[in-house]
Amino acid sequence: MHKASTIREDGLYHSFCGLVSVGWLYQKIKDSFFLILGTHTCAHLLQNTLGVMIFARPRFAVSLLEEADLSSSQPDISAQIEEIKREHHPSVIFLLSSCTPEVMKVEFEGLAASVSTPEVPVLFVPASGLDYTFSQSEDSVLQALIPFCPPAPPEDKRVVFLGSVNDAIADDFSLEAARLGIPVAGFLPASHFHELPPIGPGTVVAPLQPYLHKTATQLRNERGCTVLSSLFPFGPDGTRRFWEDLAAQFGMKVDLSDREAAAWERIKRHTDLLRGKKIFFASDTLMELPLARFLKACGAEVVECSTPYINRRFHAAELAALDGVRLVEQANFHRQLRTIAETKPDLIISNIITTNPLVGQGVVAKWGTEYCFLPIHGWAGVNALVTSFTRALERHAKLDPLGSDPIWLTGMMPSSPGVISLQS
Amino acid sequence: MRLAYWMYEGTAHHGVGRIANSMRNVHAVFHAPQGDDYVNAIFAMLDRTPNFPAMTTSVVSGTDLARGTIRLPETLKQVEERVHPDLIVVVASCSTILLQENLEIAAQHAGLQCEVMVYDANPYRMQEIVAAESLFTDLVKRFAKPQPRTERPTVNILGPASLGFHARHDLISLRRMLKTLGIEVNVVAPWGATIADLRRLPAAWLTIAPYRELGLRAATYLEEQFGVPALLDAPIGVQPTLRWIERLRELLAQAGANIPMPPLTAFSLDGMSAPSAVPWMARTADMDSFSGKPAFVFGDATHVVGITRFLRDELGMPIAGAGTYVKHQANWVREQLAGYVDDLLVTDEFQTVAARIAELRPELVCGTQMERHTSRRYDLNCMVISPPTHIENHLLAYRPFLGFDGADVIADEVYTTCTLGMEKHLIDLFGDAGLDLPEKVKAPSTPEPAPAAIAIESPKPADEPVVAVAATPAAPAPVAPPAASPAPATPVDPVWAADAEAMLKKVPFFVRGRVRGNVEKYARQRGHAVITAQVLLAAKEELGA
Ligand code: SF4
Repeated sequence: MHKASTIREDGLYHSFCGLVSVGWLYQKIKDSFFLILGTHTCAHLLQNTLGVMIFARPRFAVSLLEEADLSSSQPDISAQIEEIKREHHPSVIFLLSSCTPEVMKVEFEGLAASVSTPEVPVLFVPASGLDYTFSQSEDSVLQALIPFCPPAPPEDKRVVFLGSVNDAIADDFSLEAARLGIPVAGFLPASHFHELPPIGPGTVVAPLQPYLHKTATQLRNERGCTVLSSLFPFGPDGTRRFWEDLAAQFGMKVDLSDREAAAWERIKRHTDLLRGKKIFFASDTLMELPLARFLKACGAEVVECSTPYINRRFHAAELAALDGVRLVEQANFHRQLRTIAETKPDLIISNIITTNPLVGQGVVAKWGTEYCFLPIHGWAGVNALVTSFTRALERHAKLDPLGSDPIWLTGMMPSSPGVISLQS
Repeated sequence: MRLAYWMYEGTAHHGVGRIANSMRNVHAVFHAPQGDDYVNAIFAMLDRTPNFPAMTTSVVSGTDLARGTIRLPETLKQVEERVHPDLIVVVASCSTILLQENLEIAAQHAGLQCEVMVYDANPYRMQEIVAAESLFTDLVKRFAKPQPRTERPTVNILGPASLGFHARHDLISLRRMLKTLGIEVNVVAPWGATIADLRRLPAAWLTIAPYRELGLRAATYLEEQFGVPALLDAPIGVQPTLRWIERLRELLAQAGANIPMPPLTAFSLDGMSAPSAVPWMARTADMDSFSGKPAFVFGDATHVVGITRFLRDELGMPIAGAGTYVKHQANWVREQLAGYVDDLLVTDEFQTVAARIAELRPELVCGTQMERHTSRRYDLNCMVISPPTHIENHLLAYRPFLGFDGADVIADEVYTTCTLGMEKHLIDLFGDAGLDLPEKVKAPSTPEPAPAAIAIESPKPADEPVVAVAATPAAPAPVAPPAASPAPATPVDPVWAADAEAMLKKVPFFVRGRVRGNVEKYARQRGHAVITAQVLLAAKEELGA
């Protein structure tokens, strides 16, 4: 077992809370509705991170706690649930917790149960910013779905892919499994509430996303299934290991070395560019470990990989592959800036909050947030994955050198020290 | 409790962040759970800040609560060490305020060199606008010092702020006019101001505070406390700008400065033309059709008043209605719009505004990002005149709303947003006149899990679904609703018969949505469950559609 030394800091970095995963989950589970019991803050967060810009009738909303509601310890949300059913006709409603009701000690399980019906279940999802960051709450949503996965008999030996991916990626994985002779029971989550896969002692659960360890553990404990421990299927290296290890679970020994070599060959132009480049991960999506491992395999030098949390068991294979890389949990932003100044990385994968300002400091930075939505899984995702890193590098290399002269930042930001603002 | 989808105003801590991020060497620290840090993203994305926004979240986690840890002192130390601010403003969040901790004591524990101010903003009682305005007023009260006036006449400009609607452009426009008048600027705040600048505020001869939302109270304070007269009007439109200049000169004259009025051409960009093309443009034959284009205006107080008056007084457009979400300014808005609007809509629920728009079906909607969505849904023309905004409202070119330059910008926006005059006649006469687009095929629901999520950055694909909703014929309504009592007050949505649907297709595409809505309204009023070609004809006759 790997004994990588990871550094744990104080967690003072920029990020979002668990509510943001609503942004992709409501689109993935097409007959769902996401209700947050929260405040103006939660509503403002959702609208600014998930897109007031997208839909006039989104399938998520906030049951708004106002001052008068703070005194009752158990709020009544039945009117809002009725309104949602009337307007949106969902098959399932997820009730997400947030910080204020947590501080008020609202008993969420009971609250969800009080409005849940067999026709339209209301499922409690812990997601508050006090305990959950970014993609972590997808784990909570999937846990809430476990009871609705039908039991499978022990002789039902099939794979269930774990993690929300779009339909195209799901098709890729089904086809690839068929090609290798691996029987597929389905995906958790499925695109519709009533299509959840059966899970039992014969099931092999294959995680597609690196932030789902609670669901995996609960499935192992409650259903007695096997959880695949391998690399996550990103990049030629990860994808090969993933399928070979998965096939082994079904008693098959497959060798995908040719396939892997061909995939590397196809992206050679990009890996040539990445080789020797210093990369710094300062993002917050929990995708950092497998992405850093892929870049290391590309020949890049990962000078630091910060990530919100590391789970030694769930991430064991990734940690082993990252041996020698400086891994930081719960990073401190101010320290990161110092390390960035010292190590001068060629590319920083940062979160949406710090990317533009980092670019303003003269480094190349890109949104790490994108990796939650990009189709980067499996063989088909290799190209999207590698170009996501090289695009920023190549584009900045092509741009004229004007950007490095502070005159072109002058007056852009009233508070910014060091650049002349419009103040006379 | 109510169900909320979109908010017009941000939270109190967002308001605090806007002031901190406007000023130099001022930093906001949020004593809050990690997710509340999201406000940083709004600045970094919409304002495209080349530096880190001047705010930091001092994270409060569930574990901290369980253990009784307060990390605030440590965060304050780290912030001081990195950014060396003159002032740190500490504010609690909606959840941490319930903990009733003594943040003053916690802040003192940090033992900082710089000044620390714990700002008591109850997020359940104030939102963005009041929080920003109150904090800014407090800062002015705290730092402004009595002092002699500047030797030559100078003015303060209060109100422009980070994430303010076209704030940078408005500031340029104001500066241009002042320069033309030969008046120097003493201090601009909060935009780009330091604490030292706030100290200098009373040295000005006059304070300009054009926005009702920010700067008004500080300007009033400077007047009451230091006798610096305040000019509180917003020069939106040509006439108001002329009056504003007049008033500015009057007030300075009273203060003992004689400011000669240069020829009006001096205010134009080339120094030798009319300062605005609006008065002439409004008189051209081209604009006659605008007298038949009713407009609905919704937004913050300043812009709703300014734009409503501009549309009626300077472009001759009828006003179908107006409203604001800034409730504490509603009386002022009502007063200002007396004679323009009878029943001002005052609400912060976007559904209510959407319902009003659906009912009025105006030719032009001036609103916020939310009204833009509503307008898409009903196939109406919309321009954004007030926050909240979308990244596409944060354009690079000079687009002020204030002053002569602003009048041209607003008029252009109105003109290009509305359906045009002569073209419209032709289209009315000949149907689609070759302009029609094929009916949009209903977009399949997005296959990607969320390509557009966290989508401040991807406006283009984002608009698709909304357009699809607007352009797809409504699915036939269920014939019998499950409701038990068929109350005549809530009749069923009428169903379109094939012949009527075919006729509707011949209506020009850009008015089709409006015609559809009007005919359905007519059918509902007359109790027609099915809209046949006959019903459509009757409706056209009756409505002149
Ligand atoms: S951190 Fe808490 S209060 Fe803030 S948006 Fe997230 S859930 Fe709501």
